[in-house]
Amino acid sequence: MISFSDIKREARFLVRQRHIAFLMILSFALSVFAVWSGIAETRAQSATIERLLEKNDVDRQGVLAKQKNYGGAAYYSFHLTYAQPSSLAFAAMGQRDVFPWKHRIRMLALEGQIYETDADNPELSLQGRFDFAFLAVVLLPLFIILLLHDLRSGERAAGRYDLLVVTAANERKLWLSRAIVLCSSLAVAVLVPFLIGAAISGASLQGILFFTLLVLAHIAFWMLLSLYIGKLKSLSALSSAQLASVLLAFWLSFAVLIPVGSDTIIDEVVESPSGGQIVLTQREAVNDAWDLPFSATWDEFLKTHPEWADKTNMNSQFEWKWYYAFQQAGDQKAANLSTAYREATQKKDALAGWVALLSPPMLTQRLMTSIAETDIQAMTAYEQCIRDYHASLREYYYPLLFNDVEFSVDQLKWVPEYSSAICDNT
Amino acid sequence: MKVITQIMLDEWRYWLRSKLGITVLAITLVITIAAVIVNAMEMRQAAEERQTLQKTAEARFLEQPDRHPHRMVHYGHYVFRAPSPLSIVEPGVDAYTGTSIFLEGHRQNSAMFAEQRQSSGMTRFSSLSPSFLMQVLAPLFILLIGYASMTREREAGTLSIMVLQGLSRWHLLLGKLLALMGAGLVILLPLSIASIGAALQGESALVSAGFILGYFLYLLVWSALVLAVSTMSSKSNSSFAVSLGIWLLLCILIPRIGSSVAATVEPSLGKLESDFAVLEALRKLGDGHNAADPAFEQLKKNLLAQYDAESVDELPVNFRGVVAEYSEKKLTNVLNQFAEARMEEERSQANVLRNFGWLSPTIAVRSLSMMMAGTNVETHHRFLRDAETLRFDFVQSLNQIHRDHLDYKTDMARSKSKASSLAARVSSDNWSVLSEFEFKPEPGTQRLENSLPYIAQLLLWCVLVMVMLKYTMRRVQ
Repeated sequence: MISFSDIKREARFLVRQRHIAFLMILSFALSVFAVWSGIAETRAQSATIERLLEKNDVDRQGVLAKQKNYGGAAYYSFHLTYAQPSSLAFAAMGQRDVFPWKHRIRMLALEGQIYETDADNPELSLQGRFDFAFLAVVLLPLFIILLLHDLRSGERAAGRYDLLVVTAANERKLWLSRAIVLCSSLAVAVLVPFLIGAAISGASLQGILFFTLLVLAHIAFWMLLSLYIGKLKSLSALSSAQLASVLLAFWLSFAVLIPVGSDTIIDEVVESPSGGQIVLTQREAVNDAWDLPFSATWDEFLKTHPEWADKTNMNSQFEWKWYYAFQQAGDQKAANLSTAYREATQKKDALAGWVALLSPPMLTQRLMTSIAETDIQAMTAYEQCIRDYHASLREYYYPLLFNDVEFSVDQLKWVPEYSSAICDNT
Repeated sequence: MKVITQIMLDEWRYWLRSKLGITVLAITLVITIAAVIVNAMEMRQAAEERQTLQKTAEARFLEQPDRHPHRMVHYGHYVFRAPSPLSIVEPGVDAYTGTSIFLEGHRQNSAMFAEQRQSSGMTRFSSLSPSFLMQVLAPLFILLIGYASMTREREAGTLSIMVLQGLSRWHLLLGKLLALMGAGLVILLPLSIASIGAALQGESALVSAGFILGYFLYLLVWSALVLAVSTMSSKSNSSFAVSLGIWLLLCILIPRIGSSVAATVEPSLGKLESDFAVLEALRKLGDGHNAADPAFEQLKKNLLAQYDAESVDELPVNFRGVVAEYSEKKLTNVLNQFAEARMEEERSQANVLRNFGWLSPTIAVRSLSMMMAGTNVETHHRFLRDAETLRFDFVQSLNQIHRDHLDYKTDMARSKSKASSLAARVSSDNWSVLSEFEFKPEPGTQRLENSLPYIAQLLLWCVLVMVMLKYTMRRVQ
């Protein structure tokens, strides 16, 4: 075992190395920046949701006051749906800048509305944010390479190598304890700001623990890899810069080549209908209904809502129940394409999950965004929430429309409200 | 001159001998060629798919049966953004912006179906685009083959011999720089071929040339930077560590930090939130579906006076159509005003990020590259504007048909019975008012002009590294 005194001696030695101290301070500063900007961003998102809720409410009350029937009320009132950032989202913003986390919908055909995207500035998304996950996944390996590539050769170059090896009780222990001191200082430098940030945003203990362990495991992987490469007999002739080049090749494969290559292959393997097809299909179905006999709409609608079979009589050329029935029918006609589209997203994500096993940085990234609920899974779950909520709106309005219930604004108090709680249950 | 060439050739011979240089070069070349081919294929496929969808959408619109014209306003139309020719090398924001918009009356919808939403989610740090390889990885490769170019000579003692023999320091450095640039040019080759290909596909030759030149300057900056560090360092190892640190800072750290800073200092409201302000402004305009809305009283009075009529029934035009046309115009003015404000927000965010180009040549070359290729946020805005123009044109044309070709009384009676509903229609021949949509990025000269600040950034970097190189020359002894 490595004794405490080994560690203490190494620590005292390393603190005096200027470039090491510099790298530690840099990591700390970067972590502070990542955590600070992450918290600022999630706070801004929560504040936006608050404001939107308020404005949406005012808008809806104003609109409802003018309505004379349930059909009009459903047509003119929009409902806000949203996905709050989790308490760990600040550390891993994941896909939240590409997938929408806020959406206003109404009771019209959902397929015509759900792909509207209020996304972030595309140029910023392309560049990517500097969040804690990025620091841990992409930068930490590079820092570790910088710290550990010249463990042996650096000492050799300084002329201390033979002396060190001779005086050390156990050579392996010497390098290991030195690497451990370096890497644990690095871990402390990046984790302290994260832990403070997590405490401020009220993250769960379990989540914090997972995150911390992930960071430590990722650091440990790169530390062991660096030590192993440095020890290889076949590479012992290399200079420390050449050793670092070898390590960089590993970083390049894990952080760039594997993700990019497999992304290309996954895209090729998984078939997906194009989004344009879904919306075109949906629109044709909805618009054709105006010119088709009423029975065409009712036949399609009753497939999923047979309970209204004896309420389909029409007293004029336009009735709201028929209008919403063909909106529903439009969704049903596009359902196959839409499901295939979503399944393709799921399948790509699942395949990416397998590929990530080949690349520790990708694995860390996926696990972090999964804990922070900012991964593709979480974002598609939010989309499913919108779908469920939309369905509950239909369930609410159909009885009022089909039973010809007399209009009363009071009744509208019972319109289902969107809440994140709906999602959590599913 | 002969001496410089000699030094350059010596350096190349060393790379060939030492295997490291040649391995790095070969790997880079393979990756870049793969990137160019895969990316070109993907973009070509995307272009074809979007074009087919565009044709389908146009055909469907024309195929619609006889209808009430306002039904066609709500039937609406879809437009798709065709990628620009140079996006085969620089896809830019293409994957991050929606590629299609639904155009309908009274609304401006957002763009849908960003490709990134349909991807495996693994390409958020890196991508297989040739531009990413050139911007982030090419400097790393230059670093790997160049970090020891001077320190190697110094460590072996050959440097002092060369200087003692009377070799000019300028010649030495220039030879080494040319050697590194030569390697850079090899890496640049696939991208150049693809850019020339884009020029053959209809891209302006001037833009393609400027595009290649931008990357050439970028590689020059990195070659000189790596060489300067190597000249300053006494040992290869420290030269390596310092260059790697600089690469990390300029290529990876600053761009991301720039993006986070831009999002924080220039927060953008987002479409959803600004939509509420739009609604607020729209409510004052009146509902264009309801010709009896008090907001149109003045319009009615003017019209009655103009045609010397007692009531709207007597007007030679359909009053409902007049109201629809009138309110669509007013509403569009409001929508455009807010849309412009939102685009302005996005532009200033992007500009905050682009100003980091003074701190990092990577951002400078990226801004330049996206600006030239027409794959930046401004081009997306141009798409939004073009789409809006098309939307307004066909909606107003339909409203004019409503005004001139549909009798007011027939129109008012449209919901009475099946027969009256059939009577309140116009012939489908009218649907030919829809014009074809073909999205093109800004003309080449305009893009070149817009790129000037980023060319300036890159040139400044060139000057900076040259000054650095001159300064380090003193250390050659």
